[in-house]
Amino acid sequence: MTETDLIEGLRRQSPKAQQETIDRYGREVFAQVVRLVAVTENAEEVYQDVFMKVFSNIGQHDAGRASLRTWISRIAYNETISFLRRKSAPTVYFDDYDRGIETLTDAEVDETLGHASQETVQLIRTALQHLPPEERALVTMFYYEEMSLKEIAYVTESIPTTVASRLCRTRKKLCRIIKMLQA
Amino acid sequence: MKEDILNTLRQQDAALRDAIRLSEQELPQMPADLNARVMGKGLTPNPSPMGEGNGHPVVRRLWTWVAAAASLLLLVGVGLTMMPEKQVPQGSPVVAEKVEKEPQQVNHGDCPHDTSEAMDQRDCPRESQPRQISAQPKKLKPKTVMAEQVIAQVENQSQTAHGDSSPDPSLSETYQENRPHEPKTLTERDIPITRPENYKYTAEEIALMKRQANEAYLKWVELELEIAKYNQEQTAQK
Repeated sequence: MTETDLIEGLRRQSPKAQQETIDRYGREVFAQVVRLVAVTENAEEVYQDVFMKVFSNIGQHDAGRASLRTWISRIAYNETISFLRRKSAPTVYFDDYDRGIETLTDAEVDETLGHASQETVQLIRTALQHLPPEERALVTMFYYEEMSLKEIAYVTESIPTTVASRLCRTRKKLCRIIKMLQA
Repeated sequence: MKEDILNTLRQQDAALRDAIRLSEQELPQMPADLNARVMGKGLTPNPSPMGEGNGHPVVRRLWTWVAAAASLLLLVGVGLTMMPEKQVPQGSPVVAEKVEKEPQQVNHGDCPHDTSEAMDQRDCPRESQPRQISAQPKKLKPKTVMAEQVIAQVENQSQTAHGDSSPDPSLSETYQENRPHEPKTLTERDIPITRPENYKYTAEEIALMKRQANEAYLKWVELELEIAKYNQEQTAQK
């Protein structure tokens, strides 16, 4: 079943198309949700809400702006962030109290994030936990899912240049956290 | 331009990519039955709030209002049924209508009876309406009528007993007209005893009941004395 057929089936509320959508994109959606929502039960709740919105708002999908996969990813991102803002306790992240990342040079950042040693990888993994959920999702979409700036901008309801700026800033922030952890 | 730089950085940041990949591998796996649960919950919402399949909530809401209105009507109906007759506002106009009809019969002599003068007939009672409609209570005429009938019967019987087989009707009418108006008042004895407050005894009845009670008491005492004497004799014999 092609994506066009799938979208048409979803518009007709065909159970077969809905099942196909869940089978095709469910694993990615669940990974995207559980990446930010630590508790599995909560992630399952958000997962269900995501597909509820997908099936109910399929009429709003514009195939000319984004693929079905990107559109579902956008819904999953918004649902996850909304859930965290609604349910999670307010958490203080690195960005909230440190402004020293401006002093880092690009060479330092490239050296830190490009050196693929086991210790550095572990430090980066630890540093990723100190990032706010939005930035963690941004880094994952860019480096792991290899989405383009345009797609990320669509998912995060932003513009590509803003996404690029945030990515650069997040790289520096990770480097700053690693320096702090090393110190 | 900036995207090209970032794509280059994405290739260069091998440590970051490895870290993210390892983190992704350690994420909890999706439960195998999650999709089945999602589909089993019937995630088949309606596409638009005013869609074709969404008529049920509107109908349900309408039925709620219809049910509320029906309940209200039922309550009003029950309330009107349970209301006592004296509270019904149509009671007093009935009395007024009866009072208005009487003068029409009395004033027949003054009003023309010709059908051609029907308008005048209708106008005649209206002239006397302010005088006839009054707020006085309605008189209880049946009592007086019954007493007059009894008197007339007694008079007829007495006339028959005196051998006057053909009484003069003019004398009777004259007597009826000149007889003083004596309405008979009903006493408690004339009213059948149907309610507890009517259970009243006369002084003679009360005295009779007291006397009978005293006699019964004396008889009972005498009987007790005889029993006691009999027991004493039996005991003495033993």
